[in-house]
Amino acid sequence: MKTFVIALAGIALASAAPLLAHGNTTPQHGGVVQMTGETLFELVRVPAGVSIYVTDDEEPLASSAATGKLAVTIGGKTQNIVLKSGPGNRFDAPGLKLTPGAKVAVQVVEKATQARLGTTFVIK
Amino acid sequence: MRHLKHLIAAAVIGGMAAPPVAAHGIWFAQRARQVAMIYGIGADDLDMVKRLPLVESIGAFDASYKPVKAVLRTAGPVVMVDADEQPTLLVAVLQNGTWSRKGAAEFEKKGRDEMPDATLSEKTVKYAVSIQGPLDKPIPALPTQILQIVPASVLPTMLGTPLKYTVLFNGKPVKGARVIADMVNDPDAKELETGTDGSVTMPVRNQGLNVIRAVYNGPTDNAKKYDRIEHTATLAYTLAHAPE
Repeated sequence: MKTFVIALAGIALASAAPLLAHGNTTPQHGGVVQMTGETLFELVRVPAGVSIYVTDDEEPLASSAATGKLAVTIGGKTQNIVLKSGPGNRFDAPGLKLTPGAKVAVQVVEKATQARLGTTFVIK
Repeated sequence: MRHLKHLIAAAVIGGMAAPPVAAHGIWFAQRARQVAMIYGIGADDLDMVKRLPLVESIGAFDASYKPVKAVLRTAGPVVMVDADEQPTLLVAVLQNGTWSRKGAAEFEKKGRDEMPDATLSEKTVKYAVSIQGPLDKPIPALPTQILQIVPASVLPTMLGTPLKYTVLFNGKPVKGARVIADMVNDPDAKELETGTDGSVTMPVRNQGLNVIRAVYNGPTDNAKKYDRIEHTATLAYTLAHAPE
């Protein structure tokens, strides 16, 4: 088993989430985008922290109609962050700093339906 | 007459040796943008709501493989998975009961104590692991997954690429697990058996959802009720499709 684990060490597996699919995938806010199905997530790093914009089937998802969370993993440690509702379809993580290699798992939950939308960014 | 006895004996032995046809399994798949827990085989997406009481555990893990709370939620005829955060892995275990049969007859949901003349009695347990996010380290042996399939190398981006899997039983590679590359779209495929290192290599079948299935017959823990425990594990992951 030890040999088995060692043999596996360092292996990186590809993302399970579809990268591109429907609609406009051009970043609208200067960030990086990732598509899951028909839901587009844009992660923007700004001096004040990190913002996430969510567009579902080409329609902005009002942040007031959903809750959001991040799970940020850096160096094997995961930090959970509750996103703050911003204007329009923006969710904010004030003060968050990301470093290359960080994984940012985004989840938003629509309040009305409990539908969960999510993706994971790997910061370059 | 003697020939007939031989035929009957052969049929009985065959019934004992033959694995149950079409081992059903559980896996996770997308339904209306949500992750749902599925019970079935092939295109048969069966009644998971009815089987909810059989679910022994449901769980999720983050990118560090730290447990994340997850619960099942019934939404009409579908069972959704609600994880507290975007998970990297989802896992579940379903206790599918004890089944017995005589010869090649249909299995009945009974133990050997209820069907003493059964030629085979088995307890059946279903396990599922789903990769929901990018991984940067190997998937460990997970505590609830008595039988577990782990990819032994990087997931490819294109279908048709050979991929090695290791099947773990109680956390260790096991020989003789029977594996197919996709229990949803090719459920009757010829099973490949894992070697002494517990591994098997198969091409990735789909540019989309892949549900690998492994079946392994483990020893009984209650010989009065069943002769063996049939463990059925799935590993589900998705290859991204091309941009539209």
